[in-house]
Order: sequence, then structure tokens, then C-alpha cells
Amino acid sequence: MSNEFILVATSRTPEVKLNFDTGTLLLSGECYPEDASQFFNALNIELEKHFINAKKLSANIQLIYFNSSSARALMELMDGLEEKAKAGSDISVIWSCDEDDDVTQEFVQDLLSDYTAIKLKMELIKSD
Amino acid sequence: MNFSQFDQIRHLLPDDRFMLCYSGYVSEDLLDAIGLTLKVRLNEHVEDRKKVRQIFSIFVELMQNLIRYGLEGPKGVTIKDDDHSGFGLVMVVEETDGYVSLISGNYIKSEAVAAMQARLSRVQGKTNEELRTLLKEQIRKPTEETSKGASLGLTEIARRSAKPIETCFVQSDENHHFFMMKAFV
Repeated sequence: MSNEFILVATSRTPEVKLNFDTGTLLLSGECYPEDASQFFNALNIELEKHFINAKKLSANIQLIYFNSSSARALMELMDGLEEKAKAGSDISVIWSCDEDDDVTQEFVQDLLSDYTAIKLKMELIKSD
Repeated sequence: MNFSQFDQIRHLLPDDRFMLCYSGYVSEDLLDAIGLTLKVRLNEHVEDRKKVRQIFSIFVELMQNLIRYGLEGPKGVTIKDDDHSGFGLVMVVEETDGYVSLISGNYIKSEAVAAMQARLSRVQGKTNEELRTLLKEQIRKPTEETSKGASLGLTEIARRSAKPIETCFVQSDENHHFFMMKAFV
């Protein structure tokens, strides 16, 4: 049995897959939950557990759409990861943005200049 | 309401050009249902994917504003805070000038008008670049206790609107105003 934390996607929350063995995190789908901080808290708790024993995480963020409160929660998630990276963990994040979604691209560009310890990369994907 | 009054509403709605019109109590469940309906309709009728995304994003922020702020019913009926529902009116209209406008309206206590105007003045008359900076600042700031994150929502709406947002307050009775806001894509 693999050691994972999984949340199934709903119409307004993304699929979340955190694999404690491989140190991988996937966020994929739409994100405008009723209570964004509550939704992301659950993930933050699991990430804390992960970093008790591990020093590595590679995350893939593939959010088609996230609302403004989710943006705030995502920033807090990144803050937490930056702290871990500064403390010596190896953290890489690939953030996928739709190539015609300039608002999200701007958001990620701001993140790129804010975080130095995380290996953060923005990847543009073609819209279907 | 009789049929004649009801029919008048039909005449007020722009023929074939309104994509969505809802009036009543709004809740997170309703946002879910209407959001999906709007998405289907947008995917069928709007070619430009970018436009679809902007419309949907503004719609979600407007609805969440209504849910959080529209705590007063038309007759000043106060809904319990923990119900997560408020009274609102929302419309998505394809205008003749090529823009799609998103309009929302909700009742607020007259004593809250000044605070709302102050909040609006922070985003109105700002350039896109200024709004981007403001958005970044507000995302960084912890949620203002009374605003339930709505300042951030307002900035997001203004940032995504293709033209400056328009707002209007109309007195509805001695204690309440009807607050209207319009964004464009």
C-alpha cells in the first residue's frame, strides 16, 4: 500500500495527491472552495507530516482556475514551502498556466521574484 | 405579483442577449449550480477562451461577494451569519457594443455605505498595473476581520474587468441601500 494523502476533485476543488514515499504533490483542477483557508489547511497539515521525515518535495500545480481567496491560500502554502527550503529541504514546484491566462501568469511571475529557495518554474500549456 | 407584472420583467430583460439572470437568496451551493450552468452556456456561445475565463472569474467573485455581504433581504430581513447565504441579484448580459457585462446588486445597511465606498475608492480609477500591485499587496495581507476577504475580491474584479468597474448606491428604505456593481469583459 502506498502512503498517500488524496482528495478527489469536485466541481470547485482540485484533485490533491500527496505521495509521502515519492515526495510528490499534485494539485489539479478548479479551485474556488467555499472556505479556501480551510481547504488548504488540510493539505498544510499533511505537508507538515511529510517534512517530519522527508527533506524533498516536487510539486506540480495545474490549476485551471483559482479564485482570489485561493490565491491567498496558495501564497501561504508557498510561504511554508519556502521556509522548508531555506531550512535545507529540496523543493521544486512546476506551476502550469494556460498560455492565454495572463492574470495567472502574472501571479506566478510575482511568485518567481518572491521565492528564492524553492526551485520554481512556470510552464505554459496550450489551451484546448 | 400578477402575470402582467411578471411579463414586464420579461420585457426588461434584453432579448436573447442575457446569458444569465438570477434573483433571490444566494448560497455556496447555488454558486456551484449557477456557475456550472454559466460555464456550459459560455462554452457554447463564446469562442474566445480567454473571455470565458474572465467572465467566469468575475462571476465567482461577484457571487461570493453577494454571499458574504448580502446579508439583508429586500425587506431588511436579516439572515443568520452562519447560513452563508444572502440576498442578491446577478445578471450576465451580452451588450450590443461587444462587451459582456456582469452586474450584481445587493442590499446593505445604509450605515455601511461609507465603508463600502472607501473600499471601492481603493480600486476605482486605478490603472491595470496599479491594480496588479494592489492585488499582490492584498493577497499578502491577512484577511480584514470585517470584510471576510471581500476587499481582495473587489480588486480581483476590477483587475479582470476590461473597462473600469461602475458602481451605484440607491436608497431603498430608511435603513437600507441597494448597492450595484458592473464589470465588463
